[in-house]
Amino acid sequence: MSRGFRQRIWLWLAAAAVVVNGFFPAVWILLTSFKTEAELTRIPITWWPERFTLQNYVQALTGAPIGRYFLNSLVVATGATVLCVFVSALAAYALARLRIPYKTLIFSLLVGVSMFPTVTLLLPLFEMVLALGLRNTYIALILPHAALSIPVATLVLVSFFQGIPKDLEAAAMVDGCTRLGALWRVVVPLSAPGVFTAGILAFVNSWDEFLLALTLMPSQAMRTLPVGIQFLQGEYTFPWPLISAALVIALVPVAVVIALFQERVVGGLTQGGVKG
Amino acid sequence: MTRPEPRPRRSLGDLSERALAFWLLAPAALLLGLVALYPVARLFYNSLFRRRLTDETGVQPVFVGLGNFAQAWADERFWTALWNTLLIVLVTVPGALVVGLLLALLANLPFRVRWPVRLGLLLPWALPLVFAGLIFRWFFDSQYGVVNDVLVRLGGERLFWVTTPELLFWAICLTIIWKTSSFVALILLAGLQVIPKELYEAAAVDGASRWQSFWRITLPLLLPALLVAAIFRTITAFQTFDIPYAMQNGGSAFETLAMYVRTTSIENLNFGYGSALAVLMFLLSLGVTLVYLRYIRGVDE
Repeated sequence: MSRGFRQRIWLWLAAAAVVVNGFFPAVWILLTSFKTEAELTRIPITWWPERFTLQNYVQALTGAPIGRYFLNSLVVATGATVLCVFVSALAAYALARLRIPYKTLIFSLLVGVSMFPTVTLLLPLFEMVLALGLRNTYIALILPHAALSIPVATLVLVSFFQGIPKDLEAAAMVDGCTRLGALWRVVVPLSAPGVFTAGILAFVNSWDEFLLALTLMPSQAMRTLPVGIQFLQGEYTFPWPLISAALVIALVPVAVVIALFQERVVGGLTQGGVKG
Repeated sequence: MTRPEPRPRRSLGDLSERALAFWLLAPAALLLGLVALYPVARLFYNSLFRRRLTDETGVQPVFVGLGNFAQAWADERFWTALWNTLLIVLVTVPGALVVGLLLALLANLPFRVRWPVRLGLLLPWALPLVFAGLIFRWFFDSQYGVVNDVLVRLGGERLFWVTTPELLFWAICLTIIWKTSSFVALILLAGLQVIPKELYEAAAVDGASRWQSFWRITLPLLLPALLVAAIFRTITAFQTFDIPYAMQNGGSAFETLAMYVRTTSIENLNFGYGSALAVLMFLLSLGVTLVYLRYIRGVDE
């Protein structure tokens, strides 16, 4: 065997290790979701479905309100993302461009807040939401989800804004733009990739969040996907065919977004230093 | 934030820049104040009162000073939850670092097509923790789980992962390590990519083996990234909730501190004691965060 060939084999093995590690659970639930219930309760288990069936998907969409959970997740995550990116862009511009005292302190506060354990915020937020009569409303989740993503989004946006030449803004202001006008017409469009990255991170954070969603939106009709799917398991039963189909439905959109924008996501993750 | 710095004279333009900065930062400050800072302050305040909504007089808070903390000191369930959380930190942080380092080294090899490898790192990161818990609960199922299937095929015995306490702990740890090592790998990968290739070439010329260049070049230069990843992981490991919750369907056979806080305050509506537990958890987490902040400031300078 030539040296080049041997090296190629090692490369393939290395790639396979990373890919199998990352994909195995996803591929496994995908395969499982096509198995019949009879096949799932057989020992020894089968790895490849004997017969592909769509019955689990039909059941997931008709028997359980997966569509409703999906809608709830979509509304909450979209709302939180838009709010978070808007608010973070303003703050990031101030931090990237303006002379502000105590800048280091502000950055430290941002990082510090992003490390707060969510469960410690839970009870006060629960009380607040109760007092304001916001339980089971989208706003009860959108506000905290947006806030929890602000530190990450701001840090990502600051580093992007710093990369835009100041002359471009100056030129826009000479042409009669106000400072804010220059922010929206020049800086934000030019840092579109950064805005996108911040948006994806905020969206995934909200789409994945469980603890607040579990507590602040307890009614069945208002559950988000993570909460709704968690509740598909009974006290003694574990309806895996149903759960696997529901998981696939819940994961496809995020997987598609991640696959399309992977480069930006990786860049944002390593720039913003995000929770894992 | 807006306290003026000592400066002889401020021009009008300067003042308006301050005002603009204030208004630009205000929305973020307002939202973070409302959802993070105020709740934490409120938590400290609540922790000084006895207030149980299940009591007949529960609606009326009674000031007990540090009584709730004294209760925690004597509460065996609290110590168990704290111990369980520490065990999770001790096992999953080094575990995720080792697996993450391995994944990063593999992913850093010169592939021509990079996206499948990168996607292999991103998928576990994007998978909600609860879903990871659900999927791995099925993996560890004693009858129909793929883990036992492999064990039996290799000539081993079926293990009752979810119903045996020690095995449940290891199942939870393995799930957390799988879920978090990818994120560690992404951070380390960024660190690996800035190590100059010339260093390796020079070492090879000097006759160093791959193993030697790993220990003498890669590891020392990767140390800052490893530290960042370790601190991040430690902070999030202290907060572990979703995965054990999902794997036990909310049960408490293996309870972390975060699970105990939630059960006490939300399920049992014991607002005072729950707040005290949360304060303890907050202080623990703050300690680790301060180490982190100090470290990144050290890097900046």
